[in-house]
Amino acid sequence: MMLITGPLWSGKREFACRVLGCTREELSARAVWDAQELAAGCQDLEALADRLAAHDAVLMTEVGGGVVPADPVQRASREAAGRLACLLAARADCVVRVFCGLPLVLKGECAL
Amino acid sequence: MLTLVIGGAASGKSEYAESLVLDAGPGPRYYLATMEPMDGECRARIEKHRRMRAAKGFTTVERYTDLEGLTLPERGTVLLEDLGNLAANELYSPAGAGPEKALEAILRGIASLRAQCRALVVVSNEIFAGGRDYAPGTEGYLKLMADAHRALAAGADRVCEVVCGLPYDYKGANL
Repeated sequence: MMLITGPLWSGKREFACRVLGCTREELSARAVWDAQELAAGCQDLEALADRLAAHDAVLMTEVGGGVVPADPVQRASREAAGRLACLLAARADCVVRVFCGLPLVLKGECAL
Repeated sequence: MLTLVIGGAASGKSEYAESLVLDAGPGPRYYLATMEPMDGECRARIEKHRRMRAAKGFTTVERYTDLEGLTLPERGTVLLEDLGNLAANELYSPAGAGPEKALEAILRGIASLRAQCRALVVVSNEIFAGGRDYAPGTEGYLKLMADAHRALAAGADRVCEVVCGLPYDYKGANL
């Protein structure tokens, strides 16, 4: 599994399509995106990470920057998102950060 | 030669971008200021940046919108600071291009500048990792900035992020 992380609207899905050699329509069969939203309210992040790791690629938007939200629900959501990202990165063969559409390999070797 | 320098608040991106212009050698240096002074905080920030540039040989050109309409006196090096203010002006200012045309205005303006100078350094802001739970209207600004970043990065010679004053390259000569 390849974990593709990056800030909001940085071109993660476009990169995933390029690296997997598929169209946007085909991507849903190969990858999960906005995985940070699956983390919110999840009772078992380890189990979620195991399930997600079965995909070719998992895409997550980084949400841990900026000021810690005052709202407890938002605070818990971004905590869970960050934790899930770490669990996925540990399971991933390759981790790529996409920044302004440009990939940076953080772990493993990927044929970009 | 187009270099995109991106960083968070007070990351040292301005100082680093200036150093790139200084390293570009002799010739006119233009500091293209896009922040419209609205209040005391803006003026204080402008004054801070003016002091930083003092004695470095920059000619300051203030331009808040419509970069495409700008003609530089001579061919030199340009430091555009910053894209975040330009985007806000094009989006929200009465003189701006407005939501439908802002992206096009920004990209055409930067292409026009690039054609008029030897080297162009564009400073921009990393604002995309703090979630998207902002006041209504902010999402349009975020989207505009993200679209502009990807489009500029695709055509840039070099793209770097500045962290603690240190550049990290995503694309370019140092990779």
